[in-house]
Amino acid sequence: MPDPVTIVGEHTRISGNIEGDEDLRIKGRVDGKIRLSRTLYVEEGGVVVADLEVRVAVVSGVMVGNIQASELVHITENGRMVGDISAPRVILVDGAAFRGRVEMGESDSRSEPPRRGAAPPPPRSPAPPSRSTAPPPPRSPAPPPRPVHAASGPPPPQPPRIVDKKKLVKKG
Amino acid sequence: MSTVIGSSIVVDGEVRGEEDLIVQGTVKGKIALKEHLTVEKGGVIEADIETATVTVSGKVTGNIVATDKVEIRADGRMIGDIKSPRILIADGAAFKGSVDMEV
Amino acid sequence: MPEERITRRSEPAPQGPCVIGQQIEIRGSVTGAEDLVVQGRVEGTISLKRHLTIEPTGVVEADVEVHDLTVQGEMRGDITAAQSVSINANAKVIGNIRAPRVILEDGARFRGSVDMEVKLPEGLNVSRK
Repeated sequence: MPDPVTIVGEHTRISGNIEGDEDLRIKGRVDGKIRLSRTLYVEEGGVVVADLEVRVAVVSGVMVGNIQASELVHITENGRMVGDISAPRVILVDGAAFRGRVEMGESDSRSEPPRRGAAPPPPRSPAPPSRSTAPPPPRSPAPPPRPVHAASGPPPPQPPRIVDKKKLVKKG
Repeated sequence: MSTVIGSSIVVDGEVRGEEDLIVQGTVKGKIALKEHLTVEKGGVIEADIETATVTVSGKVTGNIVATDKVEIRADGRMIGDIKSPRILIADGAAFKGSVDMEV
Repeated sequence: MPEERITRRSEPAPQGPCVIGQQIEIRGSVTGAEDLVVQGRVEGTISLKRHLTIEPTGVVEADVEVHDLTVQGEMRGDITAAQSVSINANAKVIGNIRAPRVILEDGARFRGSVDMEVKLPEGLNVSRK
């Protein structure tokens, strides 16, 4: 039995909030906000103008908005994205187009680089806990000026907000 | 080609399209389609619906305006007004509301 | 910080890129019109018309302006590349990148902004909420 998947067809437009516990493939257009405990695919031809809170996001279409992923964001060679990414793993393939910030949740003893250019920093959707400039989480000892490349600490803390249960409509 | 809203998905907003829509999950808000809407058993719609045709085997709370036909199947339950040239309510279906066949 | 010019290695090496060896540390500005491979440490600025490679042992804390960049080691600073920036699986980069092509491999660690030209479909409003 294949995993359930929701497909928004190419001639369909949804504007509003989408929440769920299955994969979501978008070939049409979605404006609003998406929260999934699984994988979101913005297919080639699909357009998503939304903030996302997902486990995995695979962008092969157009994505405008911020992505917070607990596992991975992958922008494929046909993907075009404008927005900020917060995820432990991010893949940009040759051919992908991206503009925005990337935050992999690696705290560092140094402060963040100043934003360059005239563009004002975009407003953030609920900030993932790993973004703060608070002291780094306990992991391999914070090194002096010459950080060790080989250090790989424990995986960054997962954002606690992934939806498990859909809002239940009162059943008659 | 159609859009399928799976059983664990909740959409709160507007859904518009020029293709068929199958709802197995929940849609709240508004639906406007040019083709066929199917509300499967387990599907829940709390929305006003504008479509060509609709088949309800799940639960619909809202008004339906269809240009062609509305069918409420035996498992279907609907509360709302229906405006459509053709209406079919099966034995076992539950329906509360008004019916306007543009007579 | 005194300006220091990088000079070619004086050994009779075959034709190849200039290499800053693992035990070398440079503080200052590095400019050039040939490929450069960094295995050691560079702090300051790097400006090349060709390809910069930061090898796994390399650490660069500098603003970098190059034609292309490949990072296998560590880099902190702003990057402007005329052609491409490729961050490999074991690399770590903190900084802002501006380039027409940016490749981030699975496993790479990156924090900063990326500015590539993104062509959006007509009528798409890019001002985000």
